Amino acid sequence: MSFNVSSFLESLISAFKYAPVTLELTAITFVVSLILGTFIATIRHYRVPVLSQFFAIFVTIYMGLPMMVALILYNLIFMTFYNDFAEAFHISVQISDINPIFIGFFALILGTSCSISESVRGAFRGIDKTQYEAGYSIGLTKFQTLRRIIFPQMVPILLPGMQNSLIGLLKASNLVSAISVIEIMTGALLPALLYYSYLEGYVAAALVYWIIGACIELLAAIAEKNSGKYLKRTVG
Amino acid sequence: MIELTSVKKSFAKQEVLKDVSLRVNDGEVVVILGPSGSGKTTLLRCINFLERADSGLMNFGGNEIDLRKTKKKEILYVRRHSAFVFQNYGLFAHKTAIQNVMEGLTQVQKKSKADATKIAEDALSWVGLLDKKDYYPSQLSGGQQQRVGIARAIALKPDVILFDEPTSALDPELVGETLEVIKKVAKSGITMVVVTHEMSFAEEVADRVIFMDGGVVVEEGKPDEIFYRPKEERTRQFLSRIMPVDSYVI
Amino acid sequence: MGNYFSIDRFINVFPKIISNISVNFHIVFWSMLFGTILAVLVAVLRLKKIPVISQIISVYISFMRGTPLLVQMMIAFYGIPLLLGSLFLNVFGINLNRIEPVIFVEIAIILNEGAFLGEIFRGAITSVPSIQTEAGYSIGMTGAQTFSRIVLPQAFKVALPHYGVDLVGVFQNTSLVFTLGVVDVLGKAKTLGAATGHTLEGYIAATLVYITFSLILKGAFLLLEKKLK
Repeated sequence: MSFNVSSFLESLISAFKYAPVTLELTAITFVVSLILGTFIATIRHYRVPVLSQFFAIFVTIYMGLPMMVALILYNLIFMTFYNDFAEAFHISVQISDINPIFIGFFALILGTSCSISESVRGAFRGIDKTQYEAGYSIGLTKFQTLRRIIFPQMVPILLPGMQNSLIGLLKASNLVSAISVIEIMTGALLPALLYYSYLEGYVAAALVYWIIGACIELLAAIAEKNSGKYLKRTVG
Repeated sequence: MIELTSVKKSFAKQEVLKDVSLRVNDGEVVVILGPSGSGKTTLLRCINFLERADSGLMNFGGNEIDLRKTKKKEILYVRRHSAFVFQNYGLFAHKTAIQNVMEGLTQVQKKSKADATKIAEDALSWVGLLDKKDYYPSQLSGGQQQRVGIARAIALKPDVILFDEPTSALDPELVGETLEVIKKVAKSGITMVVVTHEMSFAEEVADRVIFMDGGVVVEEGKPDEIFYRPKEERTRQFLSRIMPVDSYVI
Repeated sequence: MGNYFSIDRFINVFPKIISNISVNFHIVFWSMLFGTILAVLVAVLRLKKIPVISQIISVYISFMRGTPLLVQMMIAFYGIPLLLGSLFLNVFGINLNRIEPVIFVEIAIILNEGAFLGEIFRGAITSVPSIQTEAGYSIGMTGAQTFSRIVLPQAFKVALPHYGVDLVGVFQNTSLVFTLGVVDVLGKAKTLGAATGHTLEGYIAATLVYITFSLILKGAFLLLEKKLK
């Protein structure tokens, strides 16, 4: 059994060098998806005509699409139609100058928004109807009630799920390697290609992902501790 | 102050309010009694549009409102000139007692934080809970939560306060202190509509009692008229069931 | 769309692509079978709180849940022959380098499922109120009887929805296997595209196949859950 430690270390350093790509992908996607997902869930919760039916169908179908298939499909569509598109709209940017990471963002945001919208819908179900009525009874508008009464109470309910979503997203971001984006895994492999030390490269990548995931769990634990103080029952 | 005419409401196929008309005058304390399923809670909730009546008219403080097609502005007007005390307290779970009382003052009446704090503290001390102002609802007993709910209602200085079975969810030993506060509210002269089972409370404090059954107003009148000289058979039956001879519900 | 997409080519290519779904199902079946067995073992071991083993299992779960499946598959592919190559060759006469890549894929998924399902099972078992166990003991049942007749059936009901979601996830994850040369639905779309020079029809076909079967699997579990209510 031979595991080349120096290749491993080289891969590790290379992996860390590309960690910002993964972190950027993960963080930006998460924030945007949180906003979009909450928007979709709110529309569906309030049964807004037309839109809520549309999102119900869209989310249900879209969640049947694996991330890898989505990435490859979108990439192909982009490559196939970009030049015609650019000609029609007089865009001068060359296809080779566009960073494929945007396709990655597109696919990740779309997918993550759908799954987050499901989590937020679940959190809506956890809020008692009386909280809405209490807000309305003192004259708050629907929007005020949502913003000041309902959403704040959904946060502690959502935290564990959001932690899982975030870590899931971290791992999904790995798949952009299939559309030529260099992230942690492909970054770790760059030195490996020279020495055929693939195993060392992949193990290094795994280690970096693991460390980042552990940091996320730590932050989530701190967040959970500081939220939902009002939920602790002290009187029977 | 409030006049309801021919209010009808059905849930699915069930007619809950068949044709209800009643009147509440300024400064009156009106108690609505009746068996469960009589529609009394639904009627109360229709007043501030927590339920939407199918048809009928409401005159609220001089404003004629068609309950079949009510405009958003009209609903907000009623809600901003009334207050509701819930059976299950209806406190905002994530806010402290004082924050609960201040919410309407700052967000709806647009008062400054300083003014709102003063009014809220006065309201809380009026119900005897100033020392618990920074407690969360989960840290308070049911009776305390209900009193905070009442403080929240009176702090808004509404034209009318609607009480939905305010003591029904309380442990027996906590009912008394809550009723005392509600009596205090009644004595202060504010218009009140109270749906309740508490007969002795009704007797002591109501200016008028309305008896509802099966979605209609069966009888109404002064407390001792209703309790001791009921005209309708249905009223008599109801009273005999819940008012055992010579015992009061406290 | 001009020359990019043709209905004829699509109709031509669709049956070829959907026929490879058997590869996906094969992987899902065997991985879930052994993965579930492993998960039961993991859950039970964690619940018993045995000193050293609990720590090892915690690390194992943390690793499987914290690293991407693709990386895990590659580590299995390159690492297992390296680690066990000489053992298998000398003792069993099997050359691990000659084994089909799909085996390594399945091993990675099985280990993955052991962790994820293990946590699902553990959560489901602990969600059964302890009063149920106490009730079992109080009428004289043994620990094993109480567990299998009282706790397990209730835990099963709790775990089922999560198990279903997980299984659909495993099915969707089979879209990764082409990276190791396993020709599943997506892999077939790739090879056909490379051979004919027309890739769009194949990938759209693959997309439809994945979405359709994901929804069918999801629907099947919803029906199952309804039936058990």
